[in-house]
Amino acid sequence: MDKQTQLNLAFAALADPTRRAILARLSKGVATVSELSQPFGLRQPTISKHLRVLEDAGFIRQKRDAQRRPRQLVVGGPLKDVDGWIRPFREQWEGRFDNLDSYLEKMNKPKK
Amino acid sequence: MLNDEKTKTTIDRDTLTITFQRKFGAPREHVFAAWTEPEHMKQWWDPTGLPLTECVIDLRPGGAFKFTNRDSAHSPPFTGVYRLVERPSQLVFEAMGAVGTVRLDSQDDATHMTVSIRCASTDHLDQFLKLGVDANTDRTFDNLVDYLRKAAR
Repeated sequence: MDKQTQLNLAFAALADPTRRAILARLSKGVATVSELSQPFGLRQPTISKHLRVLEDAGFIRQKRDAQRRPRQLVVGGPLKDVDGWIRPFREQWEGRFDNLDSYLEKMNKPKK
Repeated sequence: MLNDEKTKTTIDRDTLTITFQRKFGAPREHVFAAWTEPEHMKQWWDPTGLPLTECVIDLRPGGAFKFTNRDSAHSPPFTGVYRLVERPSQLVFEAMGAVGTVRLDSQDDATHMTVSIRCASTDHLDQFLKLGVDANTDRTFDNLVDYLRKAAR
């Protein structure tokens, strides 16, 4: 799979708020399907479907634990690619807005 | 999608739009002036904090603008054309093949600013975001996990 296809899969996976919430939950540690389905109020098959999308995109994997098959976040996975892809652009604008913020403060002060 | 303390960044690949949202503790007339008057614009546009060496603003629909950094050898001037000027709430411009919109909403004494950049195609969006993509990728995973932790709270 080339980089572009990977990135497309990653973005498609991240497009869904439930899947982002699942990633957020897994960033705190491994969890099983039933542990994941409770807080989201979703049925296990629905959660499983979301987990498959996240797995296909490489965000998460199953731990080798035949009984419970907990999912875990893949360290250095596509999150790194996605963030690395966006970050320079974001930082450029963030820098700009930080400047604007301090400049507006100066504007706010009455001139001496 | 990505978040930090101050600026909320959203990438929407369906509408080809990158959106930044930020709140400033200043009236929106000031924020609008900062975006539209050269003496102000000069002082904040360059992300490095250095004042622009040149700032030309012809503030009317069809009017051109040109912002030149000190380091113009490495980053070419940012040029474009204004499409809509609605003091003090909205500014629309075209630059680098994208359409930029600055929307300012008053919130008590503060201003909520939404800057969105709409690209012409997915490739265009990718190109935009790829600028300097190789820099410092090591820390990024940690940053995003930090973000996800915050989001999970």
